Amino acid sequence: MMATSTNPLSACARAVTAEEAAYRIDYPLAHARSTRVIAFDESAAQTVASVAAVGWGQAQFYTASSSGDELVTLSGEPRVMIAEIEHSDSVIFAATDAMDPGAVASVGAACRERSIMTAGLLLLDSGPLSGTTLAAIRPYVRVLLVPADEDDLFELLKAIRA
Amino acid sequence: MLRPDINDLLTQTGPGTPMGNLFRRYWQPVLHADELPEDGCPPVRVKILSERLIAVRTPEGEYGLMDEFCAHRGVSMFFGRVEDGGIRCPYHGWKYNANGQAIDVPSELNNSEFCKNVKLRSYPLVKLGDILWAYLGDPQKQPALPAWEFATVPTRQTFTSKRLQENNWLQALEGGIDSSHVSWLHGGGPTGSGLEADPLFAGAKGNQYNKGDLKPFFEVVENDGGLLIAARRNAEEGHYYWRVTPWVLPNFTLVPPRGDHPIHGHFWVPIDDENCWSWSFDYHPTRELSEAEVSAMEAGAGVHSKNIPGTYRPVANKDNDYLIDRVKQKSGELFSGVEGIAIQDSSLQESMGPVVDRTKERLVATDAGIIKARQKLRRAVEALRDHGTEPAGNVIEHQKIRSVAIVLPPDLPFVEGIGDGFQAREGVPQTTV
Ligand code: FES
Ligand SMILES: [Fe+2]
Repeated sequence: MMATSTNPLSACARAVTAEEAAYRIDYPLAHARSTRVIAFDESAAQTVASVAAVGWGQAQFYTASSSGDELVTLSGEPRVMIAEIEHSDSVIFAATDAMDPGAVASVGAACRERSIMTAGLLLLDSGPLSGTTLAAIRPYVRVLLVPADEDDLFELLKAIRA
Repeated sequence: MLRPDINDLLTQTGPGTPMGNLFRRYWQPVLHADELPEDGCPPVRVKILSERLIAVRTPEGEYGLMDEFCAHRGVSMFFGRVEDGGIRCPYHGWKYNANGQAIDVPSELNNSEFCKNVKLRSYPLVKLGDILWAYLGDPQKQPALPAWEFATVPTRQTFTSKRLQENNWLQALEGGIDSSHVSWLHGGGPTGSGLEADPLFAGAKGNQYNKGDLKPFFEVVENDGGLLIAARRNAEEGHYYWRVTPWVLPNFTLVPPRGDHPIHGHFWVPIDDENCWSWSFDYHPTRELSEAEVSAMEAGAGVHSKNIPGTYRPVANKDNDYLIDRVKQKSGELFSGVEGIAIQDSSLQESMGPVVDRTKERLVATDAGIIKARQKLRRAVEALRDHGTEPAGNVIEHQKIRSVAIVLPPDLPFVEGIGDGFQAREGVPQTTV
């Protein structure tokens, strides 16, 4: 048969119909595993706390200490950063221009060493971005939303089944 | 993951649907101009946004787009006879002008009075560049004519092709926004880059950055007409090489340029909920396309496709398993085994089924660009539906946009570094590496 002729028996032609799509097997997909959402400054922490309040399957929410070595839970308990991210499959950075570059670098480096997927949200109300903020966060997050708001964080978490 | 009701909201574009209403706020490409090649030529069937229409070009040179079926007994006007001032149904001789208004109903005695009450639903159809554009929305709210640079540069600077893609429009659009698939599907996977093999990409300096850094970072930036989706790779001395793809609502994207090659981009236009037209174009802002470039495009290089002669269906399609070559797939010569960017995309996007079930996706944090685009689409649809808010993208300022490739210092917002490089400006070359 010539390449251009219609062959109703080709594997793809049979498979891609709406009828066949209905046979895609149905079973619950695993949620993301141990999503960590980390705020890197006070104002980012407010956004993170308000999204956290919705209630999530497994995601956990923190504010980073200024060294980044500690993560403080929403209820105010300090935890060791490395221990908290160790078993995570994705870490989401939330920051504004007020963030501490050192904290971002230490959490970022820990994620990179462990090949943990990262995403960042720069929560800016308005005005131009500071180059220092960008230069500090860029190397550590695979994807950065600029600017982002509370809704972006909410949609992202929902989409990844956090 | 997307809730089923939101999946429906974003994928259904027929009359009366919220997304259909959104699409009806824009001029959309519907035909190549040469599908109606001369005054008085045969009419052409058009299906767009789940509406079956017929396009005519009268002997006087007037374009018209109207209900495909004769008001009398529902015969397809594909069989109509194009006559002075319009088109006549061959069944009982009812004749319509380019606006679908009946102008002659031979069997009726009080002919002109009767005619007044017979009108086929019709839409404006205009030629701009080498494309015929239609507007299916409220006539009171008709936007300015399209201002996309590819359609407004002189004809010899631009080339457009289209191909049938047998799946929902959103699946195709998402491929255009999802930059992270590029280094896999089109780049030859982890092993290398297919760029130099294509005459429409070869030789650009930027290709070396692509090859040298196979794990790009992404930045997704809000833009008036939609989003800017940027892929960032390492360049010399701590500099970054940026490739920035603009998405303009609802269905327009531009691919970042390579060297002095023409810029390419796409429109994904819903035919119905299970098919769309993938329009692909290439244009250069300041020079004519060379003969070699045009023949490469005609042969299906770059973003174009080789279609079955006389049709817009690709030669490699689902009926022949997209001519997948398992030997080349194994050797790595073709990472997916499928030849050509266009078919690499269509083979995979069609394989998801006509309308993919987005409740079964396992999205990850780095899909943030797609997540954001869906969110923007949804907000635009709901704002139009609930408050009548005009969506972005149907004004000239949002359409006069360019994609960009550039090398910048590490601490610069790329939007700032690029500045008016995003603006389509007559006589000014594209910003490219
Ligand atoms: S790896 Fe993305 S769809 Fe399979
Ligand atoms: Fe693609």
